[in-house]
Amino acid sequence: MDRLIYTAVSGMNASMNRERVIASNMANAQTVGFKAEILQATPTTLEGPQLEVRALSSSEVSAASMKAGGLNRTNLPLDIAMQGDAMLAVQAMDGQESYTRRGDLSITVTGVLQNGDGLPVIGQSGPITVPAGSKVSIGPDGGVLVSDPDTPDAAPQVLDKVKLVSTAGTKIAKDIAGQFRVPNGGILPVDENAQVIPGALEQSNVNPSEVLTEMIAAQRLFDMRTKLVKTAGDLDEAGSRLMRLD
Amino acid sequence: MPSSALQVARTGLEAQDTRMRVIANNLANVSTTAFKRDRANFETLAYQDTRVAGAQSSTETAYATGLNLGTGVAVQSTTRMETQGSLQTTGNAFDLALDGDGYFQIQMPGGQLGYTRAGNFSRTAEGQLVTSQGYPVQPGITVPEGATSITVSDDGTVSAQLAGQSEPTQLGQITIASFTNPVALQAASDNFMLETAGSGPAQIGIAGEQGRGHVRQGMLEASNVNVVEELVDMIETQRAYEINSKMISAVDEMLRNANQTL
Repeated sequence: MDRLIYTAVSGMNASMNRERVIASNMANAQTVGFKAEILQATPTTLEGPQLEVRALSSSEVSAASMKAGGLNRTNLPLDIAMQGDAMLAVQAMDGQESYTRRGDLSITVTGVLQNGDGLPVIGQSGPITVPAGSKVSIGPDGGVLVSDPDTPDAAPQVLDKVKLVSTAGTKIAKDIAGQFRVPNGGILPVDENAQVIPGALEQSNVNPSEVLTEMIAAQRLFDMRTKLVKTAGDLDEAGSRLMRLD
Repeated sequence: MPSSALQVARTGLEAQDTRMRVIANNLANVSTTAFKRDRANFETLAYQDTRVAGAQSSTETAYATGLNLGTGVAVQSTTRMETQGSLQTTGNAFDLALDGDGYFQIQMPGGQLGYTRAGNFSRTAEGQLVTSQGYPVQPGITVPEGATSITVSDDGTVSAQLAGQSEPTQLGQITIASFTNPVALQAASDNFMLETAGSGPAQIGIAGEQGRGHVRQGMLEASNVNVVEELVDMIETQRAYEINSKMISAVDEMLRNANQTL
């Protein structure tokens, strides 16, 4: 008997997953430095002696869209937006290095420079700690400039430099916490020429009108696949009616 | 779970609702002396890692990509934007503004110290310098009866011309509190800030020294809320709320369709 119904159901599942990814992107339309997820559906063909007609759909979040988000000027000394494909190295919860485009930095009471996700920002040698009571700003090259409030006229001292890495040529993927990492471990090389824009934040790269269109497309595709399941059911029904003797 | 897209969209609605509340509070305080606007910060909720990229797909191969499904968004925190509000001249001798960082210390009922930048002070019948709630400024300043031409200098020194004296008499000095991490101060009602573990203890000093701001007499610091900016944020929030609610109705329709067709 025909197993069209299973193929159609796999499509319905994929559509529902797609809708969920779209919902998550949509919900994060205002998260600083957020990169939209791209869902990719791949046919899984069952190969065998019979005709290859069954291509079950299996979907996965293949990658994040690395398109740059819009810039929003905040004029805060600790807000930075990364230019080009540079990423900021931060220390993830498990102590490993992970990468982010989220540059809303702040200083904890113990002086640790952290980003908006509460992850310590990595400098030339590990997390950056600034002296208590000092005025901190970030330069266009990622230099952490510290000035002593006691001597407001003195030029700010370079304390450290945030680690800006190049993502060119390396595959990166989001981890469970939403930070970027190199799959299977590994760290990205420092990009000496990377620049940041101080006093600005990179917005989420989710485009609301694009995402609404995707949402409607996914919804209609789901409806079509529902019809397909119904049709498969009807065909089965018709087939078994033929076999009846009455 | 088939309805999880609904749950993800719901987190979006909740986050936008919270952001709208922050904006509403900013707009409501557009005329509050020395009010600092808040910014809502969003964070992505955890990802459900159904399949980790790099996991073994067979003994010799590994998955090239993972299946990470996001579970939505949340408002993680609000940041108080500590930028200086514009100074407005009032001409009132007891109106003090801070030009630069720092806070006035106020003795609140119950002995706790409160910190404020709203310097619309006044004098009680006994001559004590108090806030509009009647809470005394710390260290206490008492203006004797009959004192004329009260002046507050840039460094907070209060002096007055007393009857029968040729030279102005120094009445005391208003000191300024600063914090390692002022963003972590807890905002309380009536313009007050309270010390927290995150802000660190108050460091008391003289106005104009060690990065503290100068005292400006006859002026008040206006709220740093920019109405146009808030209105733009408000429209952005409203639209984001709308698209998230559209998501909910889309998923609802999908599920209804499946229910009716099958």
